[in-house]
Amino acid sequence: MNRAFAFLLLFGIQLSPSSAHAAQWLVDPAKSWLGFTGTMAKAPFDGRFQRWRAIIDFDPAHPEQGRARVTIDMASAVTGDTQKDVALPQGDWFDVKAFPEAVFEVQTFRAKATPSSYDAIATLTMRGVKMDLTTPLSIEVSGDTLRAKGYVSLLRSDFGVGQGQWTSAQWVALEVATAFEVTATRIP
Amino acid sequence: MPTRTRYDGVAIAIHWLTALAISAQLVMGWTMTSLQPGSYLQFSLYQWHKSVGITILALSILRLVWRLLHKPPPLPATMPVWEMQVAKAAHAFLYALLILLPLTGWAVVSASPLNIPTVLYGILPLPHLPVLSDLADKRAAESVLTLVHEIGGWILVILLAGHVGAALRHHFVIHDGILARMLPRFGAQG
Repeated sequence: MNRAFAFLLLFGIQLSPSSAHAAQWLVDPAKSWLGFTGTMAKAPFDGRFQRWRAIIDFDPAHPEQGRARVTIDMASAVTGDTQKDVALPQGDWFDVKAFPEAVFEVQTFRAKATPSSYDAIATLTMRGVKMDLTTPLSIEVSGDTLRAKGYVSLLRSDFGVGQGQWTSAQWVALEVATAFEVTATRIP
Repeated sequence: MPTRTRYDGVAIAIHWLTALAISAQLVMGWTMTSLQPGSYLQFSLYQWHKSVGITILALSILRLVWRLLHKPPPLPATMPVWEMQVAKAAHAFLYALLILLPLTGWAVVSASPLNIPTVLYGILPLPHLPVLSDLADKRAAESVLTLVHEIGGWILVILLAGHVGAALRHHFVIHDGILARMLPRFGAQG
């Protein structure tokens, strides 16, 4: 009995990674976006990343086995304001020459009391700095379509975004709100 | 071709546009440097000051080229020689400042450790001046250049006071029509 249980447990553990692979999702870029809101001279401004890719592995029956990895092309940030768009890739800000990509990596999804609500237990690596970034989000799966939506606030100073005189919040607020909306289809 | 007695339309237009722009620059320059750093108003004023300054630079280059190609009307023969010399020297200084003040302003922006891109009127990006934007000690360069720009601004204020004062003296005291030849006469041939 004990042996059988141990065998089952071992078997089960070996099985679980492959069962997670059963629910992989392909992001539809036309129906997805990744954006941010900063504050410059007390005036908020919106921006978004035009190029990013994501590997999403999520099964609503086993959210804890879910994984996701979002790779963001930092040179693709646009705000619609030429001045900011010229400044952002430069050394004081994203420094895209040295750090072309940022990576948001979800280790597990923790289900919350409300249906479709989760906490993505994740890290964000930006400008060479890796920080924990637990991100609340909603994930809805209907048939072969997954819709996810989330919002998290971070401190640009944690990642060294804003060097020199920009380190302080005098001109640009340290808090930056980031948000995303993803529509993905099941990979058969 | 008879000697002109008035400035031509282009010269008049550039003169008054520049007068308007300089007035705005002085007000903005004074205000933006008096405000507490960090406000939206202050940031916007700096951006406007940069845009208008580069506009003055462009207008003044155009104006100098125009002046070389179109001889301005001569000063009235009734003017004493020394006054003519002072007037010519003052105008030469004014032209020099019209070119040098925007250039020193551009230099301040280029050497600023804040490294804020200049986008004229929010549309046209203007690069930083070379060398200055790559200096090791930008802070020191910026403070020296700022001082030069500020002193230049005050010299301009003094020269302008003389320029406006002289124009008014010619018009109201001497009555030699010098001011009128720079005033637009809409619908009339100069």
